[in-house]
Amino acid sequence: MSVVPQSGGGLARGGGSANLYDVLELILDRGLVIDIFIRVSLVGIEILKIDIRIVVASVDTYLRFAEACNRLDLESGRKAPSQLTDLVGDTMESGARGKSKGALSGAGEAITDTIRSVTGKDDEPEEEEKKETAERRRPARRSSRREKSASREEE
Amino acid sequence: MAVYVYSITPKDHPLRLDGLEGVGASSPPLRTVTAGLLCAVVSDAPEELRPKRRDIGRHQEVQQRLLEDGTVLPLRFGYTAPDESTVRQALEERGDEYADRLRRVENCVEYNLKASQDEEMLLREILTESEPARRLNDEIRAGTADPDAPLRLGEMVAGEVQARQESLASGVIEALRPFAQEVDSSPPTGADFLNVSFLVTDEQDELFLATELSLAHQMGEGFEFRLNGPLPPYSFS
Repeated sequence: MSVVPQSGGGLARGGGSANLYDVLELILDRGLVIDIFIRVSLVGIEILKIDIRIVVASVDTYLRFAEACNRLDLESGRKAPSQLTDLVGDTMESGARGKSKGALSGAGEAITDTIRSVTGKDDEPEEEEKKETAERRRPARRSSRREKSASREEE
Repeated sequence: MAVYVYSITPKDHPLRLDGLEGVGASSPPLRTVTAGLLCAVVSDAPEELRPKRRDIGRHQEVQQRLLEDGTVLPLRFGYTAPDESTVRQALEERGDEYADRLRRVENCVEYNLKASQDEEMLLREILTESEPARRLNDEIRAGTADPDAPLRLGEMVAGEVQARQESLASGVIEALRPFAQEVDSSPPTGADFLNVSFLVTDEQDELFLATELSLAHQMGEGFEFRLNGPLPPYSFS
């Protein structure tokens, strides 16, 4: 029996189209190229390139952003979770504005905090909620990895 | 007879190819071509190849299987050699180089991480935190702004979006860099602000995954992290 990890490797095994889509660019655009080999002409491969994000600096983008801002109702908007604001705040400080603290230290602290909350017992209720959301988004990834390491150890 | 080439492995790789099918409508069986200390995994080349789910999936499954049992250099999808002797020639002529590349990825897997942020949340943050943007937005909404105001607001906001997303991306990358051998960042696509691959050793694996998971939790609502792996080292071959 072969153990194929669910995500990434699970393209044809119920990994879902999101998965295939997410690793498509790696399969089609990375990997070793041997120059004396010939690439089969691949119709449709350029579709991928078109999807590369368009540079933000264009009049169309400006107007779209302005419109989206005009539509926002700031008063009734839900407040972003405080931790998120902290992290964004921290990483922003390393940005073009150059305040005192860097992205590295900010994100580093953030990680230490959550490693504690994931491994430790001092979870706050709101932390639990977020964890559930994140885990729903990425099912079976960690367990599939364990299967893989287990299969390696058996050899 | 032209052959489609999937991967290069060390000669001592178990090369468990049973049950795998090659690309193309005829689903050809896989075989190996050996030269020196290296092996290439090949099949008869199909007459026609299109980047369809079935064939891309098969190419990927070969790599994934080889990764489970040892070290593999995955080739990019779609490469063929005119015949087996050309494959042998490639393995002989560039054998040292491929052996080096194989050593570089030994006991390693690739993880690819993509992330996006809810746009409305991001714009809300910007308007909350940037006084000039908020004032301009208020004026436009009140109808008291000049006709150029939307363009100025948009430019201001676009600049903020880019700066924030770039620093978020580099924050995430730097947070994970200590748990990877190598990092390969690419332009994000679609609504993503991050698209990065990490080469992670067996020893680093647990910590890398734990850190990534906690980062995703930390960013919280409004962010979507999509981690794919363990993958063959496409980005580091």
